Amino acid sequence: MISLLLILISSLFFVGIIVKVKAKIAARKMPPVLQPVYDVIRLFKKGAVYSQTTSVIFKIAPLVYFSSVFLAVLFIPIGSNEGLLSFEGDFVFFAYLLGIGKFMTIISAMDTGSGFEGMGANREALYSMLAEPAFFIIAGSMALFTDNISFHDLFLHLKQDADLYYIIGIASTYVLVYIAMVENSRMPIDDPKTHLELTMVHEVMILDNSGFDLGLIHIATWLKFSIYGALISNFIISNSWNLYWQIAVFLGIQFAFSTIVGILESFRARNKIEKNPQWIIMLSAISIVVFLTVLIITQKIILN
Amino acid sequence: MIILFKIAIIFTFVLFIFPKQFQYYFGLILHLVIISISGIWAVKTLILSSKLTLPFIPFLGNNLSIEIDQLSAFFILVIDFTMLTGIIYAKGYLQPYFHKKNKIEMAWHFFNFLWLHISMLLVVSIRDVLPFLIIWEIMSLSSFFLVIFETEKEETIKIGIKYLIQMHIGVAFLMAAFIYAYVSSGETLNFDGLSVYFASHNPFGLFMLFFIGFGIKAGFIPLHSWLPHAHPAAPSHVSGVMSGVMIKMGIYGILRVLMYIHHDLFNIGLFILIMSLISGLIGVSLAIVQHDVKKLLAYHSIENIGIIGIGIGLGVIGLAKNIPVLAALGFGGGILHILNHSLFKSLLFYTAGSVYKQTHTRNIEQLGGLIKKMPKTALFFLLGAIAISGLPPFNGFISEFLIYSGIFKSLHSAGLFTDIVLMFSFAGLAIIGGLALFCFTKVFSVIFLGTTRSSKVEHATEVNSSMLIPDFIIGFMIIIIGFVPVIFVHPLSQIIGSFFIETTAIHQMISTFNNISLSSGVFIIIIGLLWALRSWQQKRQTIKEDKTWACAYTGANPAVHQYTATSYADNFRQLSSKIVNVKKDFKDFDETEIFPKKRKFETHSSDIFENYLITIPSDRILAFLEKIAVFQTGKIQHYLLYALLFLALIFLLTFLNLI
Amino acid sequence: MTYLFIILYTITLIYFALSERVKKFVWLLSIQGFILFGIAFFSLHKIKIFDFIFILAETILVKSLIVPWFLNKVRKHNHLKRVQETSVPVSYSLIIVVMILLFSFLFNNFLNSNYIHTKYFTVSFASILFGIYFIIIHKNIFSHVVGYLIIENGTFLLSLAVGSVMPMMVNLAILLDILMGVLVLGVFINRIGDAFESTKIDKLSKLKD
Repeated sequence: MISLLLILISSLFFVGIIVKVKAKIAARKMPPVLQPVYDVIRLFKKGAVYSQTTSVIFKIAPLVYFSSVFLAVLFIPIGSNEGLLSFEGDFVFFAYLLGIGKFMTIISAMDTGSGFEGMGANREALYSMLAEPAFFIIAGSMALFTDNISFHDLFLHLKQDADLYYIIGIASTYVLVYIAMVENSRMPIDDPKTHLELTMVHEVMILDNSGFDLGLIHIATWLKFSIYGALISNFIISNSWNLYWQIAVFLGIQFAFSTIVGILESFRARNKIEKNPQWIIMLSAISIVVFLTVLIITQKIILN
Repeated sequence: MIILFKIAIIFTFVLFIFPKQFQYYFGLILHLVIISISGIWAVKTLILSSKLTLPFIPFLGNNLSIEIDQLSAFFILVIDFTMLTGIIYAKGYLQPYFHKKNKIEMAWHFFNFLWLHISMLLVVSIRDVLPFLIIWEIMSLSSFFLVIFETEKEETIKIGIKYLIQMHIGVAFLMAAFIYAYVSSGETLNFDGLSVYFASHNPFGLFMLFFIGFGIKAGFIPLHSWLPHAHPAAPSHVSGVMSGVMIKMGIYGILRVLMYIHHDLFNIGLFILIMSLISGLIGVSLAIVQHDVKKLLAYHSIENIGIIGIGIGLGVIGLAKNIPVLAALGFGGGILHILNHSLFKSLLFYTAGSVYKQTHTRNIEQLGGLIKKMPKTALFFLLGAIAISGLPPFNGFISEFLIYSGIFKSLHSAGLFTDIVLMFSFAGLAIIGGLALFCFTKVFSVIFLGTTRSSKVEHATEVNSSMLIPDFIIGFMIIIIGFVPVIFVHPLSQIIGSFFIETTAIHQMISTFNNISLSSGVFIIIIGLLWALRSWQQKRQTIKEDKTWACAYTGANPAVHQYTATSYADNFRQLSSKIVNVKKDFKDFDETEIFPKKRKFETHSSDIFENYLITIPSDRILAFLEKIAVFQTGKIQHYLLYALLFLALIFLLTFLNLI
Repeated sequence: MTYLFIILYTITLIYFALSERVKKFVWLLSIQGFILFGIAFFSLHKIKIFDFIFILAETILVKSLIVPWFLNKVRKHNHLKRVQETSVPVSYSLIIVVMILLFSFLFNNFLNSNYIHTKYFTVSFASILFGIYFIIIHKNIFSHVVGYLIIENGTFLLSLAVGSVMPMMVNLAILLDILMGVLVLGVFINRIGDAFESTKIDKLSKLKD
């Protein structure tokens, strides 16, 4: 229960902090940190416009997408508090659950019959397909290390004193940060500032959504950021700490993650769109190096 | 009861007497009789967990018997279910052909459909080699006649003959394998005799022969060339049945041979795993660039055979390296995927057939917006598409989850090389799942969503309800397996037990399956709550309908700038261009052409395995043979001259004491 | 700590396969020099203090500072294109670099030797193989120099693997190799760049006519 509440609370502030950091670096006036929440509340008070080309798929897809992300949140543990749902192999269920959310978003984008949304749809399908192995290989490395296969058990048994543990932690954090950027279509995959249909991935798929649906989609985006931030924080929080200390460190890491995202978006340029697939394959290559490192730690590769 | 079975077989010949209208119903009754008899045998075997042996017919002096053990019982149930849905679907699908074909042709079609069913049931139950090969041959022949149903198209006959030739090559390999085992070990020509051979020789060589023979039927790459041609050419109920169960007969053969091998298993397991990973990845890559919907589904069958093979290969590796978790869950996932694939693949073929019947085209680039005209068919296609991508909460996810669990649970206890093999297999499975999602979002969106792309869609309406009944039945099974997978734990552990594997790992999955059911239930409840919340909120607001946002471009029909299937697949094609071999056909613009004239653009994908293994060698052999054909002059004087020359040659050689 | 630097070295090899810009190659070379400095610092215990300081100075000064500075000068002088194309698409190169890494780790386990320090041997073997692959896929002579330097880094690690004490001779030999290679090729490129238009190797092979 605690992890659910913490993730929900931190998601409210996440996008606000990113926008504030970007504005500060660009020497613009900063909007209030809860501005995205105010925007969504305003959306919930509005009606909706549906396109004549669309069908029932367009009406049901945002609901399925939001439910899949919300259900995925229920699996994430924080430190020693396990998620509401936890069973062996739940990270496979987690990854494929996000998959059905993507499936419905993609077909609702194609439903509008617009060329822009089709462009975003096929890019989203390709990039998320290429980023899947990276997530699985990292989860596999942790399963190899700890001989457990649920999120809760994996992180519970992860802390052991080996100096290679730090390289696993750092490399996994690096890969997870970039997987989060791929999933939410931020830099360097796509630039949310420009709003040019030719370069967008996720933003362009939701061009025709309005009102309640758009509000749900925005909340789902915050939740996705928060999920990856929680996964990263698990690498750092140790179970032996006091509960309040764990909560404080978690909130601190979420804040740090959103600040880093803001800084990354301000300073890094977007990849050329055709170079994106090879960049995402690089993430899988680094996760294979993490796997090799775990093989070294568990003494299966014998090095002297 | 065996007498009833024999009577049913003999009654199939009675089919020819009936007039056209009653043939279908008579065939349906016979199918139902056969299904109920074999179903009772199968269920009895699974419940009592013992083998069932029934004397069948006397054959060449010995009494031939039907032996049904747990593996055969499982296959019998899968075959029965798919044939049932197939025959129900066939009534509506064959409606337009009733007037074009005469009485004998329709009777011959139903006769072959019955014999396909009977021969598949007998293939999984007969253990003596010679009757097995004869029944295998009958299965190939009956499916050949079913495939070439539309004989008015010349292409169909050519494809049918290619199919028949490849099936016979497979049978030749099987015969060679069996005869080799018989000659080396001296045991009876029976499947059980294989165990004696495998106990005393290195199993890899003979297993390879069996793999090629059964693999041609199953559709592993590179033995798959008949699949993408035969499935589109056949009528949809036949494609559904062929893809759903007939190619699984190859998997049955491989499993049956594996039952007799007990040592030296690692190389065999690694070989199956590598072939299956290749089949899965290349199969789905080729599927993405097709624009004929049934050819696309045929390539997906190749991919799913790859997934089944990954499960089986991992199971064999688990047996070899003594990791019971991997063995049990690998085999479990593979065998459950056999059932799952027959369900969703036949569903997809039936719905695609309904679309073809209404629009008379299989080219998805000419369809679009069909969800408004055929909503129920679209819903079932969506169900099949989500299930085949392996997404929760449906059944495809459950079998892939079993394989993943097996891999992740055994990572810690395996050796170094096994760990790297396991890593490649789960990374490969993740990529295959992602590519299947890519492909089916494309197919579903281009066929059913958006606006219409050509006039062929104008007259489409929903199909009549007899074609929707099998969709309902299969959809029900898909949802049951996805939401309540625990009911399959006990039968699966029984089937795997016959492979001499400890099944505790499967029983440990019960609590996980319950949690999955719980999570899927929570998922549906959240969706329901949100729907209610939204309806309440939208009652108090204005809901308008308008055109899609086109950046204020109002000049043309929205379908003009809608994404086509080729453009959707394009960025994947750039990544995998070496494998999918797509050729673009267009004339470029001239520099001086100020007002562009009309242009045509075509893309074609060709199968590189078919090109390099079959088309190019056969063209070269034909070119060589044409040179030799010079000797065939057709004049009898030349032939007499050849005879005289031959006599002279023999005389000369005898004179010189060379022969 | 040494393991940390070895893993970072493998990650730089992956970045070499990913990047296409010449500036990034030079930057990665200097990072590799820094990593070798770290490896040398943490693992060479049993040698004389003077040799130790010499090796550290060599890696940090020559490999991380002097050579990249020189390569940058050459690049600017010849107005090299920003992006160098490879004959194999980058996605396949990434898969191949992972295969090379896995192969070298498995090969080392298969050898199971007690005479060499395997923790350096794995990554040095991978580096040498990757350097050779790098030279094969790139068509520009500047990239060939970069590939040659990757092989040199691999050889440095190999010398760490076969002996715990690094004799001065091996170190001087490597230093000489690098200086000769970079100086000769650098001077060569400058001269060719002045006389001809491009530095592509297929145009260069016409030189012999």
